[in-house]
Amino acid sequence: MSRFRFQPRSGRGLPSFWELEKMRDHMETIYNTLAGSVSSQLRKNFGVFPLINLSEDDERLYLTCELPGADPGQLEVSVKGETLNLRGRVGSDGPGAEVNFHRRERESGAFRRTLTLPVKVEADRVDAVFKNGVLTVTMPKSAEAKAHRVSVKAE
Amino acid sequence: MSEELQDMNVREKQEVARGQAENTSDRPLFVPVVDIWETDRGLMLVADMPGVAPGDLSVDLSENTLTVSGRLTPSPEGRKSLIREYEEGGFYRQFSLAENIDQQGITAALKDGVLTLELPRAAPAQPRKIEIRTEN
Repeated sequence: MSRFRFQPRSGRGLPSFWELEKMRDHMETIYNTLAGSVSSQLRKNFGVFPLINLSEDDERLYLTCELPGADPGQLEVSVKGETLNLRGRVGSDGPGAEVNFHRRERESGAFRRTLTLPVKVEADRVDAVFKNGVLTVTMPKSAEAKAHRVSVKAE
Repeated sequence: MSEELQDMNVREKQEVARGQAENTSDRPLFVPVVDIWETDRGLMLVADMPGVAPGDLSVDLSENTLTVSGRLTPSPEGRKSLIREYEEGGFYRQFSLAENIDQQGITAALKDGVLTLELPRAAPAQPRKIEIRTEN
């Protein structure tokens, strides 16, 4: 889900920022599990950012997402078990709010997304490349997740 | 939906209407989202074109129309799609320039899928003092 960073108010009785974040993590996990089969159209309505594509071959999973203008140094990709976490920020290259905009269509803000992978991957061999504004995460499938090909003998 | 979600909400990629641009590939063409703002010197135009390499970008100027287009490098074959939330495709968008833009002075740069165009204003006509001759 997308979000903007904010300074938590230090009022008493309010849940802390981190508690809220933890709560949201739970919600996201539930959401991702439920939304696994829901069409992408519906997801868009929830304001999910970034949108991702996931593909596979026999050996690996490939995740791609479009993050034009993201600072690669601030992109964070982490994989733990079958959960992939993406964090970063887009649009920090903008001119600031005080200029006179004729058009303002580009996204800006911090984002975070959690995704449940369909198979186990080797977390320590995950590779992430940011090129031309597209992030590609290559994840080798774990040995037990690879399809075992059985050759069919003709008799 | 809350304000902040709306603000950051993903704009659905908008496909270029048929007939506006000739599409020679089987991939869709999208309208890149842009920010345009005023600077001291003129206008800045910033367009998101993720996946477009600098060599695959073209910025053309003819008459008063600025055309920006970019192709994608084909994605590797032999992969089976599992989740498809966005479509990949090229980009195409046209802008009409105001008269006061110095067309010779336009510069373009592409970095991390973001095209930045600087459109300087033409220098205003220098004020010229017209001497008035007096005839004695």
